[in-house]
Amino acid sequence: MSTARSLLLGKSPRYFKAFLGNPRTGRGTAAAFSKTSVVSSSSSSNLQDFFNPTEVHADLRSMLRDFVKKEVEPQALDFNRTEKFNLPLLRQLGDLGLLGLTVEEEYGGTGLDAAAVVLAHEELSYSDPAFCLSYLAHSLLLVNNLSTNASPEQKEKFLPAAVAGQHIGGMGMSEPSAGTDVLGMSTKAVFDHRSDTWHLTGQKMWITNGTLDGGKTTGDLFLVYARTGPERSDITSFVVEKDMPGFQVGQQIHDKLGMRASPTAELVFDNVPIPNGNVIGEVNGATLCMMRNLEIERLGLAAMALGIARRCINVMKDYASDRKAFGKTLWDFGQIQSAISTSYAEYMAGRCYVYALANQLDLDSYGNGLDADGTKLYCAQMAKTVADRAIQVLGGYGYVGEYSVERLWRDAKLLEIGGGTNESHHKNMARDLKRGADLE
Amino acid sequence: MKVLVGVKRVVDYAVKVQVQKGAVNLKNVKMSLNPFCEIAVEEAVRLKEAKAAEEVVALSIGPKQATETLRTALAMGCDRAIHVSTDLRTDYMELQPYAIAKIIQKIVDQEQSDLVLLGKQGIDSDCGQTGPMLAGFLGWPQVTFAANLNVEGNGITVERETDSGTETIKIPSLPAVVTCDLRLNEPRYATLPNIMKAKKKKVDTIKAEDLGVDLTTHNEVVEVFEPPPRKEGIMVESVDDLVSKLKSAGVVA
Repeated sequence: MSTARSLLLGKSPRYFKAFLGNPRTGRGTAAAFSKTSVVSSSSSSNLQDFFNPTEVHADLRSMLRDFVKKEVEPQALDFNRTEKFNLPLLRQLGDLGLLGLTVEEEYGGTGLDAAAVVLAHEELSYSDPAFCLSYLAHSLLLVNNLSTNASPEQKEKFLPAAVAGQHIGGMGMSEPSAGTDVLGMSTKAVFDHRSDTWHLTGQKMWITNGTLDGGKTTGDLFLVYARTGPERSDITSFVVEKDMPGFQVGQQIHDKLGMRASPTAELVFDNVPIPNGNVIGEVNGATLCMMRNLEIERLGLAAMALGIARRCINVMKDYASDRKAFGKTLWDFGQIQSAISTSYAEYMAGRCYVYALANQLDLDSYGNGLDADGTKLYCAQMAKTVADRAIQVLGGYGYVGEYSVERLWRDAKLLEIGGGTNESHHKNMARDLKRGADLE
Repeated sequence: MKVLVGVKRVVDYAVKVQVQKGAVNLKNVKMSLNPFCEIAVEEAVRLKEAKAAEEVVALSIGPKQATETLRTALAMGCDRAIHVSTDLRTDYMELQPYAIAKIIQKIVDQEQSDLVLLGKQGIDSDCGQTGPMLAGFLGWPQVTFAANLNVEGNGITVERETDSGTETIKIPSLPAVVTCDLRLNEPRYATLPNIMKAKKKKVDTIKAEDLGVDLTTHNEVVEVFEPPPRKEGIMVESVDDLVSKLKSAGVVA
């Protein structure tokens, strides 16, 4: 059902056009259609090229903007309300070729770059950051990691189905008692030479896509980090597959503040037998795998913040034009001018930081951690702040689910915790800044 | 069957247009593929997938940004594209349906197309004239407002939507011109692999002036204005009151 119809049938006639614009053909014929060109719109048009480095990027963004408007936006509020996961929609992203953005074509991917990853996350988060989080966990935390770190045989085995959307999964690093202190993990794997098998025991927590069916069974495929040696950094990365004996959902995590449409679970490993062929990279060498994937993960999360912020600014602008008080529109009031303008500047600063990094990020390299941490640290708090201003500008309406901004505010908060807490970024960045030379 | 699909770059449906200096302001305004043209592209691509069409060529008349519109058509599955380049406005202000139909006729002659699929109207000018005029110039049968299209033998059977119902029109043999209406199909999203493939597809550019068509604006647009703001209604207390108000307004006898 199109957004137009769903809102018309709902209870909010007065401001619906704020979110849809005015359909120009009165018969509502074109309401759900129109492939837009994103490159020829209003202000900062000089920067549009910066945010769309090639025609493929511009066309991908156009297609996504359409898809999000027609398919993602209409379902966002409901799936958030019911804490349900829209698995068919994620599979649709597979049909569109979006689950393997960075994967080589020989494994079913499209071999694109960090800028493509960023724009995909921006566009999806405009309407449904929770859905985008599941997309991120699958495409970056699992698929990109495999693409970067696995052997050709492993990629051949695991990637095609994951890129097509037949298999959906994520990554397990955090545990009930270890989050920011990553190397404090206690899940361990012990190798049995006779059977050439590892035995994995432990628990992982906060796993996005940990379950896809409301807690009954696990997702299809996970990269799980486990302790495999005496040193603190002796961590190995394993591929764990659904239905391996002893691999189960501990519990689905309910009543989350935000990202409610993204399924989060605790996963339990009870002596799970893992074939040696499922070890990704070197035994005890997973910190390298982690480091190599970190930058694109952080960029993806920062990009989600950008999508949230852009949405909130658009909502504020529309409301300020429509709402009158004391005989004037809200645009005439200083606090509103400040809220919208400051949000715009902060958003643009974040967007430029993200694209500056993305446009030159070599997906195979690592060592750009400082700015990967920096973009996420900045953009996460920026998105939360912008969403907060949006609620305030909308007043009572901002407090209500139908007007989207309260959901975006709740979703934004996760970005200061998931994929690296603010504190972890402080720690990492301070370490890099301390040992680095003077800034140029 | 060789199919030619017209794709027009128009102001996006959601834009609140403003009139400036007697014309709709197009500066910095979001532009999109005309929704009815998008439906035409989808239908053409389906014909190709059903192996009824061997080649689908997309055509757009407009400035250099029309190539973006053509890229969308290519990403949806058209084989190649032709860009007739002109900086004349195509929203009726400068280039008008008569000339546009003449231009398309030239391309049809060049391409030897068997079927021309167009949107039923552009959402900027809302004329709905290009398809019928083109058919007239070509001397071809035409069906407008197509809601269903089936290939049958050498011809096509088209269901046509009108305000009084649907009629079924049989064209026993091609060539023909068909304009597409809303319910004909639901256009696909271009997949990312197809978006990337579109980069490699051929786009030929021809200058409109080089086609030997009279591009003069023959109809003068006298005035362009925004519709008057909706006036407030009057609340009435009773049915009698309503009837008497309707009578005095001359709405009922």
